[in-house]
Amino acid sequence: MLTFIIRRALIAVVLLFVISLMQFFIITLTPGSPYPWGDLNPKISVQVRENYRKQFHLDEPLHRQYAFIMRDLFTGKLVSAKDGRPVLAKIGERLPATLLLNLTSLLIVYAFGIPWGIFASRYQGRWPDGLGTFFAFVLISMPGFWVAYLAAIWIVKYTGAPILGIETFGVAFRSTGQYFLDRVWHLMLPAIVLALAEVAVLSRYARATMIETLGEDYIRTARAKGLKSDAVLYKHAFRNSMRPIVTGLGYLLPAMLGGSVIIESIFSYPGMGLLSYQSILERDYPLLVTINFVAAFLVLIGTLLADILYAVVDPRVRLE
Amino acid sequence: MRFLRLLIIGLPLLLIGLLAASFFSVRVSPPKEENMMVTASIGEPKMLNPIQAADASASEVMNYVFDGLLTLDENLEVTGRLAESWMLTQTTTAFYVNEKAAADALGRIEASRELWSGWKLLRAEVTGAELRLFFSEPGADIGKDVLALAPDSPPEKIFHTRVNLKSSARESWVHFLEQSRMKDRVKRIWYDYNSAFELTYIDPDGEFGQELKNYYSANRDLEPELAEQDAAEYLDEPELVFKLRRDVQWHDGAPFTSKDVLFTYNKIMDETIVSPRKPDYDLVQTIETPTPYDVRVIYRKPYSPALNSWMIGLLPQHILGDKDSQWWAANFNRSPVGTGSFKFKLWSTNERIELTRNPDYFRGAPHLGGITFRVIPDPTSIRIAFETHQSDSWGVEPHAVGKFAHDPRFDVFSSPGSMYSYIGWNLRRPMFQDLRVRQALAHAVDVQAIIKYVLYGYGQPSTGMWDPRMWWNDDTIKPLAYDPEKAKALLAAAGWKPGPDGILQKDGKPFEFTLITNNANDVRRDIATLTQAALSKIGIRVDVQVYEWAVFLAQFIDKGEFDACVLGWTTGVDYDQYQIWHSSQTGPSQLNFVAYKNPEVDRMLVEIRSEFDHQKIKELAGKLQRTIFADQPYLFLFVPETTSVIWKNSYRVYRPETGGWVDEPIRQTRAGYSFYSEYFYKPAYAPAMTH
Repeated sequence: MLTFIIRRALIAVVLLFVISLMQFFIITLTPGSPYPWGDLNPKISVQVRENYRKQFHLDEPLHRQYAFIMRDLFTGKLVSAKDGRPVLAKIGERLPATLLLNLTSLLIVYAFGIPWGIFASRYQGRWPDGLGTFFAFVLISMPGFWVAYLAAIWIVKYTGAPILGIETFGVAFRSTGQYFLDRVWHLMLPAIVLALAEVAVLSRYARATMIETLGEDYIRTARAKGLKSDAVLYKHAFRNSMRPIVTGLGYLLPAMLGGSVIIESIFSYPGMGLLSYQSILERDYPLLVTINFVAAFLVLIGTLLADILYAVVDPRVRLE
Repeated sequence: MRFLRLLIIGLPLLLIGLLAASFFSVRVSPPKEENMMVTASIGEPKMLNPIQAADASASEVMNYVFDGLLTLDENLEVTGRLAESWMLTQTTTAFYVNEKAAADALGRIEASRELWSGWKLLRAEVTGAELRLFFSEPGADIGKDVLALAPDSPPEKIFHTRVNLKSSARESWVHFLEQSRMKDRVKRIWYDYNSAFELTYIDPDGEFGQELKNYYSANRDLEPELAEQDAAEYLDEPELVFKLRRDVQWHDGAPFTSKDVLFTYNKIMDETIVSPRKPDYDLVQTIETPTPYDVRVIYRKPYSPALNSWMIGLLPQHILGDKDSQWWAANFNRSPVGTGSFKFKLWSTNERIELTRNPDYFRGAPHLGGITFRVIPDPTSIRIAFETHQSDSWGVEPHAVGKFAHDPRFDVFSSPGSMYSYIGWNLRRPMFQDLRVRQALAHAVDVQAIIKYVLYGYGQPSTGMWDPRMWWNDDTIKPLAYDPEKAKALLAAAGWKPGPDGILQKDGKPFEFTLITNNANDVRRDIATLTQAALSKIGIRVDVQVYEWAVFLAQFIDKGEFDACVLGWTTGVDYDQYQIWHSSQTGPSQLNFVAYKNPEVDRMLVEIRSEFDHQKIKELAGKLQRTIFADQPYLFLFVPETTSVIWKNSYRVYRPETGGWVDEPIRQTRAGYSFYSEYFYKPAYAPAMTH
């Protein structure tokens, strides 16, 4: 197990280097370059632009630019090309909100997707299953931004409840309980919209693995020896069918940090999605490189974690 | 197993319960009644530092936090803010071969004292071989007539050279100058830090010029730019003198003095602090602060728009003096300290910025408790925030104005926006070089229809490059009327006749071109499409291409390799448009990318820069506008109207005015309805009107 982890870690370092190199060149070779003051501005002279480029080493050859960015990234001195603030501070400011939103969304996905899948597998081929399938495809087909707009407009129009931001704006809360519930409300809305399609996808997945497991010999044996159908379902079938779903959690780690531009915009939720999107539009190389680097790092950690989880859940798997 | 079942059924129920509880909780939580103004905008300021930020969201906030020496009044004319008064004078220096020649010239001038007041000449004096004339008004050529009085003792010609330093070669340059036997010939040196310097010298026999040339060729780090082309008879140095208010203090209580003005200027010029405002101050020779409340700015040559540069928000030396640019970025730029009517309170990234009232504001304390700028990145959500009264005002998009204009709950304020849209014809292309063709294209495109369909009628035809609200705009110019028949006739006169396929052709070549614009701008895309349709009616084939902004600039506009483009200019607060129209600005990445060249326009563009007289500026600006409009290098399309809706009876204004305070409803001014927003008050929190 230990040698496996060490070997994987060494491979990860090499991979990270290759990824950082590739993403750097993809970003810098795209037309445009960072420049915070508008490109067609008669009031700003060429000298200002050149001075700015010098500050961010943009006048250097690409390999030197890469070296500068990596050096500053690892010494924690890398600053955004947009406002000169440290990139790690900028990411740190947004990350908790995104993490909270994604975790909530994940909780909703699992809390509703799995029961839905079990329910559907239990009534396999009968009308409740058919109805469930129908709704699953409705949810999967609806574009997220459309649902978000409709939800936002309807909630405001018919209930008058506030929807923007992470807490109701300009309100004096009478108690911490009220404040807590307010935060919950502002968290739940975008989380539900984010989760909708995923719930449906997971329900289909859970249904499929459940049905597959229910066809296994040991289930028939369990039924034959007279176990109650609930016991068969939850104790034998469920546990075994959840194995691929649990190991899949590792792969979700990087997705936890990515944000959704559209949902964040509509609910004006300050998260990573908008930060990444704006940094692409502004060609904020230092910030973009950092975000991508962190994402790559997490993907590698996530796959490693998935492999380990796999071994933990299924004792037959040996990691050498 | 029981636990598992509980989890599978209980967790969804718990989540639903939590959602329901929070929903009922937010519905009963009462809105906080507060004496606050709330605005919402899509963008977030990049930073709150007047010398580094140049985005609209930042200036909206900085207007309240910082003050400049000068500002614009409601009619968009310059007025004092931190400066109590200001005065412009000029010193003109002529250099003579010797003291006697200078004294002779002075004698002649002294003899005609009766003419002095006509020339605005205050006094004249001689020091050494230099004759100095002091004028009460600046201007490039006012010394000419005076010096012409002494024709038999003509001054020496002076030369200006700008030299770019490729690397830090300043020391060796200074050394060269020190040991030169002709160093007396150098009259002024102005260092643009370590990147360039400008030299003003006299050189009767050309020897010093030769020595300079030798030095340049021996030193590859120097690149002379204007070697000896810019010869003149005398040197004009305007001077701008500010008297500062004595009752101003920073938000932390420290007094505001002339040191802060000098500090702000020094930081703008500082290379470690990249300031986009630096070009505005390039002509400043020195700034002196003889007392804490006097500032003298001496310019190297007359440039009248320079006055506008003193509207910049000033920085506190006592806070920033010993800090580096990184500290600025991480601290001050996120929590600024100014002298303005509102103090900075907090900035929650991508959420909101809060300001709180400055009770010690020198013009009188504002009445609102604070201002909150919310950041709502989505246009629909901004509208939701406004309609649910979570923000007080909203900049309506044209398509929705109609709905709000007739809603009794709101007040609507419209004014021409400070920009115009145009189609630029690349004059490097032979087909656009014929004026008749450009006129024909203008007649063939129905601008009124574009305004009607793209802006829903909320715009006016553009008749030139000035902001129609500015005093120098000539509003007698009529837009070219939509007249396809006339367009066809003009094209026929230019040799473009319909071919067998209905497409116009000349010498066997069809009239076809590509019209490009940038993506993510629906208005420009629609303009391009409507133009394509309009021109196809008179037999011109237009191919519309839309590119991502960076590609659009890098591959087409910067290189000048396009046929025609749809773009817009923001109209600034001054009349200097040298970069956009002068024939010297047609190179790669320069802004006269349509390659417009007109010697008369070139001359006027230079002339208007050194003109200080309002009436003459107005005449010159009008002539520039008429000439350029007649030449049609652009098809001037429209000035869009910007419209804001605000909740009715949200505010009134109680503001200081010369001779007492004025209480009035909010109204549209030339500078917009929010011009007096510093002194807005809510009727429920009406101030005691005791002034």
